[in-house]
Amino acid sequence: MKRGSSRKIALERIKILMNLAEEVHRKDMELAQRYYRLAWRLALKARLSFPLKWKKFICRRCKTLLFPGVNATVRMRQRRVPHVTIRCMVCGGYTRYPYKSRKI
Amino acid sequence: MITPRNIFRHELIGLKVLIIGSSNPSLIGLRGEVIYETKNMLWVSVKGDVKKIPKNVCTFEFKLPRNGRVVVEGEHLVGRPERRLKKRVRRSLW
Repeated sequence: MKRGSSRKIALERIKILMNLAEEVHRKDMELAQRYYRLAWRLALKARLSFPLKWKKFICRRCKTLLFPGVNATVRMRQRRVPHVTIRCMVCGGYTRYPYKSRKI
Repeated sequence: MITPRNIFRHELIGLKVLIIGSSNPSLIGLRGEVIYETKNMLWVSVKGDVKKIPKNVCTFEFKLPRNGRVVVEGEHLVGRPERRLKKRVRRSLW
């Protein structure tokens, strides 16, 4: 079996699962987290990097999948380096992403 | 895309399923949507409640998202969902 083919299938499966998680999280948050865990395990198995779209909304501290407005807050901060702060309401951890490259 | 060829290695969660054969006669004819999957069980939501159905004794008919239906022997689906990714199935089986 070609290595590429299982990677392609893995990516498709990750997309299916994450879209389902987005659909289902308002009704059943636990199920949404389980779908995401499954998708994560697929990425590990196929040695894929998780799609960036969703990777940024995973808490670095407790690895929960975050939905802004449900279990996370997203704020733009200007102090020091301009950045986006995502706060996880489950564990209280912060994830920060700078959005402006520094001038040299 | 899920095709009859790669369904053994693809995602079953989210598919509509009908059980057409089983060693447990009360399961035959059950229709629903796959909600979750473990090594030996499919969790199927049937009219609001979740039923856990063993894979190894059942024959399933899955409705594919785009093109038609596939009949699958449950024996070939045994295995954790992430391990099925690299599963090989012999040609003579289908």
